[in-house]
Amino acid sequence: MNSAPITAWEGAEAYFTFADKPALLAIFCLAAIAACVYTIVSMVKHENASSRKLNGK
Amino acid sequence: MATAVNAEIFYWWCTALMIAIHAGFLAYEMGASRAKNALASGVKNLVAFAFLVPFFYFVGWFIYNAFPTGFTISEAGANALPWVQAMGPNLGDNASGIFWAAFTLFAATTASIMSGSVIERIRISGFAILAIVLGSMVWVLGASWGWHPNGWLTTSWGLHDIGAAGCVHMVAGFFTLGVLINLGPRIGRFNADGSVNEINGHNMPMSLIGLMLIVMGFFGFLGGCIIYTGDTWMTIYNTPTTLSAFAFNTLMGVAGGMLGCYLVTRDPFWMMSGALVGVISSAPGLDVYYPPLAFMISFAGGCVVPKLNQLLLTKFKIDDAVGAVAVHGFGGVWGLVACGIFASGYPNVEGPAISFLGQVQSMLVFAVLGFLPGYVLSYVLKMFGLLRSSEAAELAGLDLAEVPVKAYPESRIPAFGDGALSPAE
Repeated sequence: MNSAPITAWEGAEAYFTFADKPALLAIFCLAAIAACVYTIVSMVKHENASSRKLNGK
Repeated sequence: MATAVNAEIFYWWCTALMIAIHAGFLAYEMGASRAKNALASGVKNLVAFAFLVPFFYFVGWFIYNAFPTGFTISEAGANALPWVQAMGPNLGDNASGIFWAAFTLFAATTASIMSGSVIERIRISGFAILAIVLGSMVWVLGASWGWHPNGWLTTSWGLHDIGAAGCVHMVAGFFTLGVLINLGPRIGRFNADGSVNEINGHNMPMSLIGLMLIVMGFFGFLGGCIIYTGDTWMTIYNTPTTLSAFAFNTLMGVAGGMLGCYLVTRDPFWMMSGALVGVISSAPGLDVYYPPLAFMISFAGGCVVPKLNQLLLTKFKIDDAVGAVAVHGFGGVWGLVACGIFASGYPNVEGPAISFLGQVQSMLVFAVLGFLPGYVLSYVLKMFGLLRSSEAAELAGLDLAEVPVKAYPESRIPAFGDGALSPAE
């Protein structure tokens, strides 16, 4: 997978991975947001399960 | 001249920041030790640091400059021998001393990576020998090969490893694995049926603060990976970059690794180790990654590394007290491979462009370069009885055997000679 938006360094500006593929940037951004949201959801589930256990339910 | 002085100032403060890594390792490893071993663990770290500085002066800087092409000595090595004019105060040379200092701190960091894994049973003398060899010889040979503008891994295979995931973290992690195989587990770590006993350190909060100090110190470490040219910045491979690139991806990497480890463990110790996993996972491509991609690479590393540590413990019976083999060794593997997957195609100044194959081949070189010396040297030390403390000292506590003062003189520590010893204590 060639992720470089440049072939030479002369004159390069935004040279980060997939900088020339906005759709892929959006996918990576959404994936990072999803990872954060999933972590929060799993925290809530973990806390709820722990509370139920401590309450003997 | 202003450029030379500015560069000196920049690397001076990078070096100072890297001292925080050692304050961090000190706190983290003392906290991860039981109270009876707290000071011995700390002395071990201090000894490693103090030996690494002169030994990196004696041989380390020469090795880095002499061996970029493999095992043949290049001309640049002659200017890094300890008796040449560049290796002392010299008004015509603003570079050698400050670069030597930064690399010395990289070296001490490499040796410190090993030190946490071996706590509570290694002899401090044996550890010092291992630390000197790892920190002033082994890793820096890897750095010369793959973290140098003319290193053969880059000129031949296009290796890209800006943040030293290979030569520092992987080499230290695999060296440590070799040592742990010969050192063996702490007394009481495993039962006769192979099941594992928990051995908890005596001060988890101190370990957490220590780990956060290491993260802070990594900003000095990673700053030291960039070359200041006066009006811009270059990577160690002479490609252009910015401090901004490093800022984006270092922070995103730290966060991704922390959350990944938190998700799979809920353990604050692993959460902070996850910050290191995150830095290491993103390290090879800090200059080129899209920041959310760096976050995801580090998040994935954070999710996997604790499982690998558990596998080493339960399946292979490797008692790595702090998980350094998984964090640094396998974190480094993932970082190099991920850079091959996600950053292929970037041109290098010397050698071919970054490629998946080049990253994997280089990763294997670093694994062998770390493991073999660690295994062989620790085997030799074991043969001469220099590797492991006596069983009596381990049971009583290494502080009693190695240190003339007590960590907590006003507290009663059950291990100190009251006959209440138990193997897993």
